[in-house]
Amino acid sequence: MSSAYTRPLARLIERLQRLPGIGPKSAQRLALHLLKQPDQEIHALANALLEAKQQVGHCQICYHLSAEPICEICANPERDNQTICVVTDSRDVIALEKTREYRGKYHVLGGVISPMDGIGPEQLTITALVKRVGETQAKEVILALSPTIEGETTILYLGRLLQPLTRVTRIASGLPVGGDLEYADELTLAKALEGRREL
Amino acid sequence: MYLHHLHLWHFRNYTEQAITFSGNQTILLGDNAQGKSNLIEAILLLATLHSPRAQRDGDLIQTNQAMARLQADVERQPDPAQLTLTLRASGRRTLAVNQQTQRRQVDFLGYLRAVFFSCLDLELVRGGPGQRREWLDQTLVQLEPLYSQLLQEYQRVLRQRNALLRQEPLTPAHLTPWNDLLIQTGTRLIRRRFRLLERLAPLAQTWHQRISQAAEALEITYAPCVPVPENDHEVIRAQFQRQLEVKLPAELAQKTTLVGPHRDEVQFRLNGHPARTYASQGQQRTLVLALKMAELELLETILGEPPLLLLDDVLAELDLKRQQQLLTIISERVQTIITTTDLERFYPPWLAGAQQFQVVQGQVIPR
Ligand SMILES: Nc1ncnc2c1ncn2[C@@H]1O[C@H](COP(=O)(O)OP(=O)(O)OP(=O)(O)O)[C@@H](O)[C@H]1O
Ligand SMILES: [Mg+2]
Ligand SMILES: [Zn+2]
Repeated sequence: MSSAYTRPLARLIERLQRLPGIGPKSAQRLALHLLKQPDQEIHALANALLEAKQQVGHCQICYHLSAEPICEICANPERDNQTICVVTDSRDVIALEKTREYRGKYHVLGGVISPMDGIGPEQLTITALVKRVGETQAKEVILALSPTIEGETTILYLGRLLQPLTRVTRIASGLPVGGDLEYADELTLAKALEGRREL
Repeated sequence: MYLHHLHLWHFRNYTEQAITFSGNQTILLGDNAQGKSNLIEAILLLATLHSPRAQRDGDLIQTNQAMARLQADVERQPDPAQLTLTLRASGRRTLAVNQQTQRRQVDFLGYLRAVFFSCLDLELVRGGPGQRREWLDQTLVQLEPLYSQLLQEYQRVLRQRNALLRQEPLTPAHLTPWNDLLIQTGTRLIRRRFRLLERLAPLAQTWHQRISQAAEALEITYAPCVPVPENDHEVIRAQFQRQLEVKLPAELAQKTTLVGPHRDEVQFRLNGHPARTYASQGQQRTLVLALKMAELELLETILGEPPLLLLDDVLAELDLKRQQQLLTIISERVQTIITTTDLERFYPPWLAGAQQFQVVQGQVIPR
């Protein structure tokens, strides 16, 4: 589609199109919009991109995105060091922080187990989590992963690893990992029925 | 349950077609390849979100169109409902009940229910086990819409576990959570299939005796891949676990999941012989008719109102005596939609009260 455009513009469109959620049409629109901006706008955007990439890394403790080696949450002495909430990625940390309910710390896994996508436990920050739980003598690990099939698998995997070390809970249903599955089955049913009544 | 009104846009060979049903029997008459089965397919799709004929949604959309839409006005207990299903070539679907978009299949299913009988159903007896599993699954989806979600979950676990089994090298410990989930989601399917056949088998036997006039004894047995001595959660889980342990070396060698309800079987036996190899064409037909009647009766018992009965090209195939039996059974209560290429082989009372349409090249015309 972009082939009719002059080379540098076609290249820009092609780059934009690689971004998630951007199709060929949006890429064209964005590129044409960018070309109309004053030079200093473009410089500011390019610099913001480069600086974000160069300066933002992962917190050494919890793997949340952070410009410092230790993120603000991990560095905060007011927060409970012995409660660790395990989440899929940094977006979940932001969402949970917005609720202002939680006063413990986090651990960002960087994804969930999904063999179809080539993601096994090694691709996630699981080893670091286990080490951290031991070192901090955590009292509770809360698994706040979404209840998809992949989320469930990751919960089961983590439950096996962590249960010998500490108390493990999950947010969705409040059931302890490895709890009565028959009960969970009824719970699934109950949830489906609840959803039905809300209509 | 009554389907009052059906409206199709760019579905198969229909550009736009509205049909208003009246009376309990509707006959769709037409030459080959005019769109009779397409219409039945549309109703079935609204009832089950599944077409036995289409591989992809693209097949269902009129050639050179991007979208198809199907809409049904259904009178049912306790409230009437309007169902709208939008299909796209991309496979993305939009489901709406009374103009409210539903995000999950389970919230759309259950408003329209139908028992479908076509010549394809003879494959239930003759065909491979996959045909019988699909029959179980489609029946269960109508009985309890939640089953569609449980089935999707199981299939997802199965795909992920198979992907893991194909990995080299494979760390056996990584299989453990997938085994747990396979057992958890698989057990849910096994228990529901078990329960369905437990209820359906005696009904089918009674129908079979009635239709064959007690000439043969029908036996229906669930033969799950995991031995199920009783429909108990813990028993099934334990058996499942044991089978996974036994089959692990084979699974590692074949790099695929060999244990689970995706390998279940249902056995039909006539006078003690496997129907697949023993039954004549006529006996197969009787068997399938008995199954369909049992399905109808079970749905009616559980839901408190009869589902629709969709007969695609099969009524005229039955001899007059069976047509007569069928008519007495469904008579006043069941809305029945029947397709045929000619009316000659019909038992006359079928035609007497029936609404009749002629189907010609994607147009439905009252006769
Ligand atoms: N996606 C599509 N777009 C346009 N036409 C289609 C599409 N899919 C199928 N058709 C056409 O629909 C017709 C088949 O319709 P259908 O299967 O309903 O026939 P029928 O009336 O049941 O015939 P028969 O008596 O042979 O069973 C064929 O002519 C086929 O080419
Ligand atoms: Mg046909
Ligand atoms: Zn941190």
